[in-house]
Amino acid sequence: MVFILGVNFPERNLLKKSLENFFGIGNNTSSRLLARFHIHPTCRVSELANKQVLDLTAALSDMRIENDLRREVLNDIKRLKETGTYRGRRHALGLPVRGQRTRTQIKTPVKLNRMERKL
Amino acid sequence: MAGHRSNCIAQAMQLLRLPSSTSRVTVSRAPSHLRPPRTQTRTYATSEEAVSPAAPEIDFSTSSSRSPARIVPASPAYFSGSPRFIDHVLKLEKLQTKYSGLPTMEASEAPRMAWFKLAQFRDFVGEPVPTKKYKSLVKILQRLNRIQPAAVPAEVRSTLESFLRPGNPYAQQLAPPTVDESGRARGRGKRKESSAVVHLVEGEGEILVNGRSLVDVFKRVHDRESALWALRCTQRLDKYNAWINVRGGGVTGQAEAITLATARALLVHEPALKPVLRKAGVISVDARRVERKKPGHVKARKMPTWVKR
Amino acid sequence: MVPSACWNCVLRPRAAATRALLPPSSSAPRVASAPFHSSAAQYAQPAKKKANTQTMMKHRQSMSIRRKKKKPVDRVRPPPVGERKALKKRIVLSNPNALEIEGMADLSAETMSNPSLRGTIMGLPVDKLDQLRAVEAFKPKQSWSLFRRPSTVFRRSTYEMGRLIDQITGDVEGAQQGKVVKKIVTGPKGSGKTVHLLQAMTMAFIKKWVVITVPDARELVSGDTAYSPIEGTNPTQYVQPNATSTLLSRVVKANQDVLAGLRISQQHPALKGLKPGSTLADLAKLGLQDAAVAWPVFQALWTELNATKAAPGVKDEFQPRPPMLVTLDGLAHWMGESVYRAADYTTIHSHDLVFVNHFLSLLTQGQTLGNGGLVLYATSTSNSPSNYSLEVGLDQLAARQEGVKPSSPEYPQPESYSDADPRVMDLFQASMSKDGLLELQTLSGLTRDETRSYVTYFARSGLLREVVNDQLVGEKWSLSGGGVIGELEKVLRRPQLSRPQVATATA
Repeated sequence: MVFILGVNFPERNLLKKSLENFFGIGNNTSSRLLARFHIHPTCRVSELANKQVLDLTAALSDMRIENDLRREVLNDIKRLKETGTYRGRRHALGLPVRGQRTRTQIKTPVKLNRMERKL
Repeated sequence: MAGHRSNCIAQAMQLLRLPSSTSRVTVSRAPSHLRPPRTQTRTYATSEEAVSPAAPEIDFSTSSSRSPARIVPASPAYFSGSPRFIDHVLKLEKLQTKYSGLPTMEASEAPRMAWFKLAQFRDFVGEPVPTKKYKSLVKILQRLNRIQPAAVPAEVRSTLESFLRPGNPYAQQLAPPTVDESGRARGRGKRKESSAVVHLVEGEGEILVNGRSLVDVFKRVHDRESALWALRCTQRLDKYNAWINVRGGGVTGQAEAITLATARALLVHEPALKPVLRKAGVISVDARRVERKKPGHVKARKMPTWVKR
Repeated sequence: MVPSACWNCVLRPRAAATRALLPPSSSAPRVASAPFHSSAAQYAQPAKKKANTQTMMKHRQSMSIRRKKKKPVDRVRPPPVGERKALKKRIVLSNPNALEIEGMADLSAETMSNPSLRGTIMGLPVDKLDQLRAVEAFKPKQSWSLFRRPSTVFRRSTYEMGRLIDQITGDVEGAQQGKVVKKIVTGPKGSGKTVHLLQAMTMAFIKKWVVITVPDARELVSGDTAYSPIEGTNPTQYVQPNATSTLLSRVVKANQDVLAGLRISQQHPALKGLKPGSTLADLAKLGLQDAAVAWPVFQALWTELNATKAAPGVKDEFQPRPPMLVTLDGLAHWMGESVYRAADYTTIHSHDLVFVNHFLSLLTQGQTLGNGGLVLYATSTSNSPSNYSLEVGLDQLAARQEGVKPSSPEYPQPESYSDADPRVMDLFQASMSKDGLLELQTLSGLTRDETRSYVTYFARSGLLREVVNDQLVGEKWSLSGGGVIGELEKVLRRPQLSRPQVATATA
């Protein structure tokens, strides 16, 4: 098990996929992170040197991920609601925000867009 | 049919009245012993008789043998829908039975005859002859045609000739393909959507397909084998070089098109191999093609699933 | 039949009928009106069915049928790490069920340049098999497991190579000791390029050369081993410590005897752990223990092996170094961008990896092997990326061999507006600056004689139950596209159809 930013990752896992577990890190960001520290794309967590772990942790702690990112997104939505914009209303109503059709296929906004939005 | 028949009767009546019709229908007098009793006499003019009951009574005692009791048509097929056609058939059948004892030869050796095509025959007899019946007539013609040429009676020959269509389409024969000046024999073959042209030269067994090696073109060993089957089954694989151009279709089609083309090219070099190749099944053309899709069908024959309501 | 209504009710049909038709009034409960009979309840309107789910469905709810998910089946534990790969790469060299072939010659110092043995099947020497395995000369799917023991066809190209190796070693007259021959081996799929390398390695082991191999070029550029930049290089070069370490382990395992007999003759200030007077094997093992120093160790080993005389400060007597065989399989992978990324997320060109660059620079004119040897780089067709620049480079090489001048219009050039890689084109330019140095060797099919002996080999091993005659050989030769040996093997392995009988009548 290797600690990266306070999270324990099993040694057998791919590092790239492990990084993607953080909220706010996807395919692109994680491959860029790897490239930045010269880690090859198929690296396993166990193959990391100590210095690389520290580097990664430092880089991750500088980034806006996990709770910071969540808070930011929620704040943005809240701002939309408070200024009374159309988008804010759609958020509050549980309807799609970006002009999608509402006749079918709006499961996700129904599930997510609430008055008390959670991420 | 009923309407048709009544029409025939009307025709017959007309013929009876026309003077020219005598040449076709000879009115003969029925022999006295066959003469039916009066009460049962029925002539062609039954309906006319019915409308003119005032005709004078025939005195049988005075002119018993002079006047005809009724008009008898020369042909027994007179009352059928197509009497002339049936006459022809009967005539041919009679010939066939008459000369059935004569020696015959194989169908493939018999001289090729260009019989009337169906439309032409219909014009010839002036009657609507069904396809099936014409086929049976042609069958008899073929049988008569198989009689050994030395033993054919003049009667049969003239009869057969009357069924030939004008001109002789089989007179001009295609020149048999030959090896060209540089020793190449050309063969073409088709299968499915593919067509292949093979140039066969005597050589060492080098084979190029579209300028590439056989292995490049046909990854599957089976396809390679089927492409070269004509050469392989005659054990000529290392005696000829082949330059092959093949296009269209898929891999299997191309391979089998090459088979056919190679076999044909090989026949140009060695015509004596024909029975072997025939037995190996490489010179029979597989003319099957993909059946077209029809409107209203999902595929060629498949129908959409039928759902109630 | 028992009437469903009681007599009392039958006597008052009208009341019953109205009761049945009208809904029970809420003001007069049924129970109160008919306490004794059950008929009231019976004629009452049936309990209202639950409303149709669809019409009553809440707005914006999913209408799809919820199916029960299948319970996840208990899965067997996945095999341990590396086991599947090991199974994939497993190489079986012997089949005890196959028949032993009597009188088969072995590849040895005497036979390897014997022209009279051309076109025969030769066994690989049993005592060299471990070394060959160590340098990964055998590949899976080469059907070694069909026969009793591994053996190869002694082709024309093999014989020529044997003679060349003899000459470079200096054992025969007309020797060209210390000569360096560089070749790129190409050919259609299945034409025996990898086996050609295998034969070269066997001969090199027999002649006690040092053999350095890269069995799969792809592994270096596919992003599967660690890489790190070298400080202070511009453009940045990258070192692959783990891959270098693996290379060193191959070198040590395969050339243990030779390396253990040679002592270091140069100064290596970069390597702290090295004691003076240690052998080259010890030197190489430094890199095995610590991957971080693997690359400096490899460089040190390389200079040692190419040294022609001792450095000034070394006391030990200089032992002459043997010639070297350097082989590579799958050249095309090294002729483009790698999967690795630089810090700014741009892809790294393969030639910026020092490992790759080191081996590729051997092709260029300036780089040689100090004590002579053979550089054999093979292209691969079973696993090769399409690489336009390499194709053009090989065409140029072939044209050069045929004597086409680079200035002539027939000389192949990359098409205008094509994305030919300038670095690859430069590499080929540099490797061809002097005539006749880098050669292109194109392998093609076997000749008929070689095919015959190969077919006979199958028959004698018990894999083919047919009489081997000219006709059979010719047929197999044609079917395999002119004796391409890989295809020939495929054709011979197939279950044999019964021979066509029809032809015998006319033939």
